[in-house]
Amino acid sequence: MSPNQTTFSGDSFQLGYRFQNYWDFHMATAFFFGELGAGMFLVSMYFGFVPGMVLGLLCTGVGKPYFHMSHMGVPAKSWRAILRPDRSWISRGLISIVVFVPSAALVVLDVLFGWSGGGMLGKLVALVAVASSLLVMTYQGFAMSHSSAIALWNSGLMPVSSIVYALTSGAAVSLALSVFFDSTISLVLSKLVLVLVAATAVVLLSLLHSSYHGTVGARQSLELLIKGQFARNFFLLVIGAGMVLPILALWFGGASILSSLIAAVGVVAGFYTYRLLIFKAGVYEPQISFSARLGLSRG
Amino acid sequence: MARMGMVFDLKRCIGCNACVVGCKQENSLPDGVFFTRTLSEEYGVYPSVKRVYIPTLCNHCEDPPCEKVCPSGATYTRDDGIVMIDGDQCIGCSACAVACPYDARTQVTQESLEKGLYGTGELTPFEKDGYKRFTPGTMVKCDFCSQRVDAGLDPACVVTCPTDARIFGDLDDPDSKPSRLIRERGGRTPLADKNTRPKVYYVD
Repeated sequence: MSPNQTTFSGDSFQLGYRFQNYWDFHMATAFFFGELGAGMFLVSMYFGFVPGMVLGLLCTGVGKPYFHMSHMGVPAKSWRAILRPDRSWISRGLISIVVFVPSAALVVLDVLFGWSGGGMLGKLVALVAVASSLLVMTYQGFAMSHSSAIALWNSGLMPVSSIVYALTSGAAVSLALSVFFDSTISLVLSKLVLVLVAATAVVLLSLLHSSYHGTVGARQSLELLIKGQFARNFFLLVIGAGMVLPILALWFGGASILSSLIAAVGVVAGFYTYRLLIFKAGVYEPQISFSARLGLSRG
Repeated sequence: MARMGMVFDLKRCIGCNACVVGCKQENSLPDGVFFTRTLSEEYGVYPSVKRVYIPTLCNHCEDPPCEKVCPSGATYTRDDGIVMIDGDQCIGCSACAVACPYDARTQVTQESLEKGLYGTGELTPFEKDGYKRFTPGTMVKCDFCSQRVDAGLDPACVVTCPTDARIFGDLDDPDSKPSRLIRERGGRTPLADKNTRPKVYYVD
């Protein structure tokens, strides 16, 4: 065994890689709902598509907080997360959600009832909703990339992947809704989803590439994703269902009901699996290795 | 102002884990919670195989990533450099745990406080009294036994170590034992590439 060939030590008293298991299914699902909802709201807002805006608002305003609260050790004190926006991306993110939910609700009401009469106040609220939705989409990526402990996450591509996945999944679900509620925008949305899926593929490939050329921890995570215990789900769901299937469905099926639904289900399944696997494949590097330092083989 | 730190002399550590037990006793740590661990690493090829023991704990970094990411301000650094968690302010989001490259933090669960060290649900008087310091759901970690440091004592793991492999003191004092060891034997910090500037050093 070469000096750098290391083992997973789990929770034992052996030196080795350790899986991060602090951010689990609940946190991954909260991140998923936040990004999906904000992306869906933004895409639907651009098209003036109310069902997409409402569903996006519900995902971010209800789904995300529910799973965050499920994760919190002391949910009753979770309001305190807002206290350090000067240094913590979680605080910034919480503020963005607090701003996003009411401003997005006001935008929906404006589209439905025209309360602003097209005036400056309505435009200002819309601007706040767009800005806060962009922050909701990206802050989670920044929170992850800020962590030097998990080398896989410690990449500037994390916020980029957050925003492209948010927009892609948001556009895909908006497309699925549009075929039932407003088919006039379905064709444009189907083309948008195609472009966004291609962009997501480029970002994901870049993330894997940077991990390959990163630290030993990043390479270990990469191996887990493409060769190890997560490879099957990664290739089947993240790549297959999340990228190949939507491209094939939309390329050959256009904006039909069936192809739109297939694309939406595929993108959402791929995105959710990506969120889970990125969390699961995060590893801590061995703190200090003397065999590696001395150029000796590990026993 | 003092800058408290620790040095691990790996030539002295025999992997007895007395430090781990001493820490658990001093801090009344529930099942599954460790503020310090003595990891082992084997290297070489039979018959020339060696094992080295590597004690670990919170490194009380000069630039602690756990403190930077804490959204509630629960993690803070004392004037003497000891990184602390205020259990009353912690919300248990675990952001600090995923930010710490040394995996030095643990979440105290209600379950671990209820089932006790024997796993029977019956707590000993020692546990009943000791667990009062924990708020279920919050993050905990080594604080260099700050209650002992405040009383002018060394941390429990240091006084328990039978081989003097753990040396505690003021790193700002050039004549302190840890400062001399670092200077004379070339102290190394763990995962130096993470730029956290630990106040825990290893000499071998």
